[in-house]
Amino acid sequence: MKAMLIDATRCVGCRSCQIACKEWNNLPGEQTEFFAAKGYQNPRDLSAKTWTLITYNELKVNNRFEWVFGKRQCFHCQEPACATACPVRALEKTSAGPVVYHPNLCLGCRYCQLACPFKIPRFEWHSPVPKITKCTMCADRVAAGLEPACAKACPTDAIIFGERETLAAEAENRIHRNPRGYVHHVYGKDEVGGTCVMHLSNVPFAELGFSPNLPRRSLVQHVQHAMQPIPFLIAGLGIALGAISWIVNRRIELQEKEQQQCPQPTHDSPQ
Amino acid sequence: MVHSNVAMIIGSNVVENHPVAAKWLTRTKEKGAIIISVDPRYTRTSSFADIYCKMRSGTDIAFVNGMINYALQNNYIHRDYVVAYTNASFIISDKYSFQDGLFSGYDPSTRKYDRASWAYELDAQGNPQKDPTLQHPRCVFQIMKKHFARYDSETVCKITGSPRDIYEQVCRVYTSTWAPDRVGVWLYAMGTTQHTHGTQNIRAYSILQLLLGNVGMAGGGINALRGESNVQGSTDMGLLFHLLPGYLASPTKADANLAAYIKNYTPKASDPKSANWWGNYSKYITSLLKAWYGEQATRENDFAFHYLPKRSADYSWISLFETMYAGQIKGLICFGQNPAVGGPNANKERLALHRLEWMVSVDLWETETASFWKRPGVNPADIATEVFLLPACSSVEKEGSISNSGRWVQWRHKAVEPIGEAKSDLWILDALCKSVKQEYASDGVFPAPILHLAWNYGNGESVDAHREPDVQLVAREVNGNFTRDTSVQGKAFQKNDQVPSFALLQDDGSSSSGCWIYCASYPGLEAKDNQMARRNKQDAANNIGLYPSWAWCWPMNRRILYNRASVDANGNPWDARRWVVRWNTEAKRWEGDVPDGGWPPQEKLPFIMKPEGYAGLWATSLVDGPLPEHYEPLESPVSNLMSSQQVSPAIKLWHTSNKEMNLVGDFARFPIVGTTYRVSEHWQAGAMTRNLPWLSELVPDVFVEIGVDLAQQKGIENGNRVIVETARGKMEGYALVTRRFEPFQLHDKVVHEIGIIWHFGYNGLVQGDSANVLTPHIGDANTMIPEFKAFLCNVFKKEGGA
Repeated sequence: MKAMLIDATRCVGCRSCQIACKEWNNLPGEQTEFFAAKGYQNPRDLSAKTWTLITYNELKVNNRFEWVFGKRQCFHCQEPACATACPVRALEKTSAGPVVYHPNLCLGCRYCQLACPFKIPRFEWHSPVPKITKCTMCADRVAAGLEPACAKACPTDAIIFGERETLAAEAENRIHRNPRGYVHHVYGKDEVGGTCVMHLSNVPFAELGFSPNLPRRSLVQHVQHAMQPIPFLIAGLGIALGAISWIVNRRIELQEKEQQQCPQPTHDSPQ
Repeated sequence: MVHSNVAMIIGSNVVENHPVAAKWLTRTKEKGAIIISVDPRYTRTSSFADIYCKMRSGTDIAFVNGMINYALQNNYIHRDYVVAYTNASFIISDKYSFQDGLFSGYDPSTRKYDRASWAYELDAQGNPQKDPTLQHPRCVFQIMKKHFARYDSETVCKITGSPRDIYEQVCRVYTSTWAPDRVGVWLYAMGTTQHTHGTQNIRAYSILQLLLGNVGMAGGGINALRGESNVQGSTDMGLLFHLLPGYLASPTKADANLAAYIKNYTPKASDPKSANWWGNYSKYITSLLKAWYGEQATRENDFAFHYLPKRSADYSWISLFETMYAGQIKGLICFGQNPAVGGPNANKERLALHRLEWMVSVDLWETETASFWKRPGVNPADIATEVFLLPACSSVEKEGSISNSGRWVQWRHKAVEPIGEAKSDLWILDALCKSVKQEYASDGVFPAPILHLAWNYGNGESVDAHREPDVQLVAREVNGNFTRDTSVQGKAFQKNDQVPSFALLQDDGSSSSGCWIYCASYPGLEAKDNQMARRNKQDAANNIGLYPSWAWCWPMNRRILYNRASVDANGNPWDARRWVVRWNTEAKRWEGDVPDGGWPPQEKLPFIMKPEGYAGLWATSLVDGPLPEHYEPLESPVSNLMSSQQVSPAIKLWHTSNKEMNLVGDFARFPIVGTTYRVSEHWQAGAMTRNLPWLSELVPDVFVEIGVDLAQQKGIENGNRVIVETARGKMEGYALVTRRFEPFQLHDKVVHEIGIIWHFGYNGLVQGDSANVLTPHIGDANTMIPEFKAFLCNVFKKEGGA
């Protein structure tokens, strides 16, 4: 099974991965202002248009100032709660590793969002027929024998791609070779039954915004029993909210079109 | 870099601005190397380093001179290397002196040095006198010891504001590379060069690297991380105002004819062990003239030397814009340049553009410069300049070469067709030249230099929008060919054969070469002969990652310069584990990298481009001193602790000669040090990135980084709009309050520093004020590069702002 290993000690925060993700997956740029979160982070959060995000964490660790960069994206669980929660199997764990998404099946119920322990899936609030979106581990590239776009673009090999077992061993090895350079934990190796995206860090994972106390066993059983009666209710709510959003967005679009038709000065003054 | 034991990164934010280079630092770090980051601000590079030491902008020389002192006082030097390969043992004239920040020979009325007293003492044969014991009181080594002793760590830290314990740790760790089997690499970029003493900053680095024996070694050297992907190529090709291609001097009025020019620039060496490679000057200039003027360059007409323009003024950036501001320049062609954002004192430079009759902007987008006439706050009707915008191809829309920081010349193929009417730079230049030729055909004061240009790149006589010049022909001309049947060093060549090596270039007109250092890059007439297009991943015999068959490297595919300094007198590597070259005593030849000349060990000295053959700890070639000395930036919060010379005594002071719009600020009104820099997400003046939605999303506006203490004093919170002001101008941006900027404790006060990204302007998808409205017109004493990196400013929360 394929997986990715992300080593925060190698990451230099250049964000080539963020751009490569948008480029490969045809995701539009978001309109942002200054820096929406901590440090240089932009956009504010994952969204339907942003599937991966670098976080900037200014920390004091062992009395030493550290600036550590974290990468947020889907963990591609070995036993994904999102796929279990999905009433129509729109989310699917592939044998190759990626958890993929079939938009033609999706009801837009957002059940997966509630089920995901990492709060990854996002909803297309701006679309008339909103779907769930998230990182696909570039399943199309993986199927073609390529590595995911973010791993390909990373200039410092902070993101590497390969067989899960090999990467897990490599992660353990790095800790073993440099025990003072790492927190002694491969995040994702065992969390929620193991994930196909694993992380190494030199600071406690909680400092990078990772949930520190996830159970080691899979969440699948949990999800099936507790939440299966609800999906269709949520689907209804989703459709209603989607409709409102569509109307609002349509108005904005029309307004923009009108503005474009008016003659405009070629150059606005800077704000 | 991957072979280094210690990496020193100063004046460079390599991780943010050269992420691919950072990959090799990552690898060396994982092998156990120690990475040191020295910067006024804790950067993404610092986050990656093992040791971060802060340093106030503009104090590099104090910082590094202190390291040199530490090495000299503790004898942490590679003594055999220093004695054998540097001029440490050379005796200096007894007329030399140094007092209160001034070297001997200074004339305050001209602000220039007469460098005669810095010269070596010569013996009867004209060779420098030496004392290999390094004991003579006037030998370079002893003069250095005395000069640098003034830079003890206490004094240094009072100037730089570095914490003394960390500074001493840096000294200790870095100078540990004096051992022959330890190597340190030095990386720098524009944080080093863009100062009034930028050249001397690099001199200081060079001196330390030579004392430690780190030059010519795998994992060593002084590495300029270039500010543009092809800056190396452009300087190689003579883009700087004082150079012709191949680092030949551009002639001045003093060079009345070719013989005088050759005499003026060809260094002489009387030591038979000195290769004195520049002794071949005549061959390179003659071959260049043959490349440019072909059949029209003959022995009878001095190879058309009189066609070359003779430099009669200072054509550096600041000088050009001062002259333009004074109304003395009619036209400007900006090829991929955006002075309205990138030039220092940008308010003045924007106004200078108003005085032009015409301006051409060749670029991918309509830049701030191209639209200066309709920028916010001006009335287009008031500006008479006629402006042309020529759409240019991006790098993937054309074929050609690119030369990287390591001098690798890599051929790139065209990936996609250009958009719209965009043309390659080559097409635009070709069309321009042909059109100018046509104009001169009927009229002109001195038409011959234009009309006689050898200009044929395979796309016909006239300008044709659909016929691209053949860039392979350009590359072949740059390499050069034989202009007639001839025999050189016992080898016969026919007319039009490509020259296989610059060692075969001649000064009798029988060879041509458009850039002698690129000779051997294209030794045949077929596309397959293009060495720059090679993509073979086989490594050299020493297996240190030279990849000699990947692309091509000038000179002569030599991957590490001065590699003959990496071995001892018998040709045995100082460090056998990562040897660069070694002498095979049986085969009687060098192995590994292409050596700096194939002579056996001891026959020639390793520093072949220096007339004496030795590396220069002491240098007489710079106008501002034989050794680096600390002076404050033009605008500084403190008085110079080292001497009563506040600023470099040899810099040109524009604010005294050209008073208008050249104000200089003082500490009372502007108590904060300001600096400018780039981020990963944007490129230079921003046209290529602020027009891309993905990159605009990441960094959508100008921000000003302010330390927590200063922000508290000023009542500024993260995300507030702030105004930054200098004596020249003011600009607005978002405050990014961070612990990554800390105050500096200097000898008599605490000083704060702030930093601003300079990528922004009034065009593009995302817009903002340009940081360069703040920076002054002042340049380095030798290169005139502007001092972008250190100035005085003040910062306020914007009233009524968020």
